Amino acid sequence: MWRICLAIIQKDCTILLLRGSSVLHAILLGLLLIFTFSFSLSPGDTLSCQTSATIFWISSLFCLILLFNQLFAVEETNGQRFALSMLPSPPFLLWLAKTATGLGLLLISQLVFLPACIVFLGHAPSPNTFLITLANITITDLGICSLGSLLGALAQGQASKESLLSILLFPLLTPLLLAGISIHSQCMEGLQENISQWFTLATAFDCIFLASTSYFFSFIYSDDE
Amino acid sequence: MIQIHNLAKQYGQRSVLKGVNANFRPGTTTLLSGNNGSGKTTLLKLIAGLAKPTSGLIEIDEHQGEPARISYVAHQTFLYPSLTAFENLAFWSKCYDLPDDGNQIYDILEEFNLLPFADTCTRSFSRGMSQRLNLARAFMLNPSILLLDEPFTGLDSPSQELLRQKLLDVREKGTCSILITHDIFHDASLADAVLRIEGGSLSDVSTETLQGSHPNLIDQFNPKSSTPCGGSV
Repeated sequence: MWRICLAIIQKDCTILLLRGSSVLHAILLGLLLIFTFSFSLSPGDTLSCQTSATIFWISSLFCLILLFNQLFAVEETNGQRFALSMLPSPPFLLWLAKTATGLGLLLISQLVFLPACIVFLGHAPSPNTFLITLANITITDLGICSLGSLLGALAQGQASKESLLSILLFPLLTPLLLAGISIHSQCMEGLQENISQWFTLATAFDCIFLASTSYFFSFIYSDDE
Repeated sequence: MIQIHNLAKQYGQRSVLKGVNANFRPGTTTLLSGNNGSGKTTLLKLIAGLAKPTSGLIEIDEHQGEPARISYVAHQTFLYPSLTAFENLAFWSKCYDLPDDGNQIYDILEEFNLLPFADTCTRSFSRGMSQRLNLARAFMLNPSILLLDEPFTGLDSPSQELLRQKLLDVREKGTCSILITHDIFHDASLADAVLRIEGGSLSDVSTETLQGSHPNLIDQFNPKSSTPCGGSV
């Protein structure tokens, strides 16, 4: 059963990373956002840590939308979705494979965004908060990728549905993004006592998103017309 | 064995299939004919589990103690354009947990005359080559049920002959094949029976098991004399 999951991850990575420019386009979009925001500064000025963290996560979110649109679009070109639906495995595995691939690709993108934010926005996480920054990125990414996977599946099929992804994604992700931004901001300007509460909030929303999206995926990714 | 009981399918207000009953036994090949939009593809999709019936039931027996393995060749090729022919087959092979042996994939590529293109991305394939690779994928999975929706489309004469031979081979191995065709006279030699969908109902054009007796089949193909209650193959 897990072999199917690994096969889908391997196939998606080959198509998106090695044979296409989708990941590059997603990274460029994120970089463009970071670069554009840096123009709002007068010479010598710096943004607040909170604003810098917000720009990092907004870039990540735009990147996520492009990645998940592409991850599900590859199953539509020649009706591969039908063949995937016939696999001897539950739809949950497809959701898991897409979420894992999206998470991996988003982390790769953030490896580029993080230094870009330091260079263009002038804030870097403190060296002693490296592990907290890593944990924050992983926990927040997990939640937004699980939801991205569900909404990426929803967006496929009809052009009219595609706009739903961005419309639905932002409001649903607000609590998780707030937690991610707050922790990221504290990693740059100094930790505060309420950081554990933000981690609790992020973990709670991760659990909600992981449980609900894995359950609802099979209903969303149905082939019946 | 596939048993279809009183199957109906509606798309919105349009009723495509109405009370279809049929049985398909292992080791048989059934031709499915009918006018455009008569519901042939819908019936295959329902059997493949790609669509849900509005009412009725499809029962598919286990094959040799395991769930039936269904291969479906649709109008779409299910191929990833960015992957090579080999990578496409390797992907589906892994998905169905087939023995992880690259030689098997090269063998099936050779069988379908695609070995020289094993490392070519399928986006550069012609319609016929894509169809051959699609068929290679379907046969590679060793299906117990093979659903083919106009599989001869785009194939040249040698490839059509190869497909006919493969269909006869899998019939010997006990595969239940259902094939949609518009040229039932040409494909009759493959068939144990011919069913026709008309007005949402399945008509049994050839109630006898014909075992490839081509002239008899043509004689029996007379929709006016067909029974409206469906067929048993």
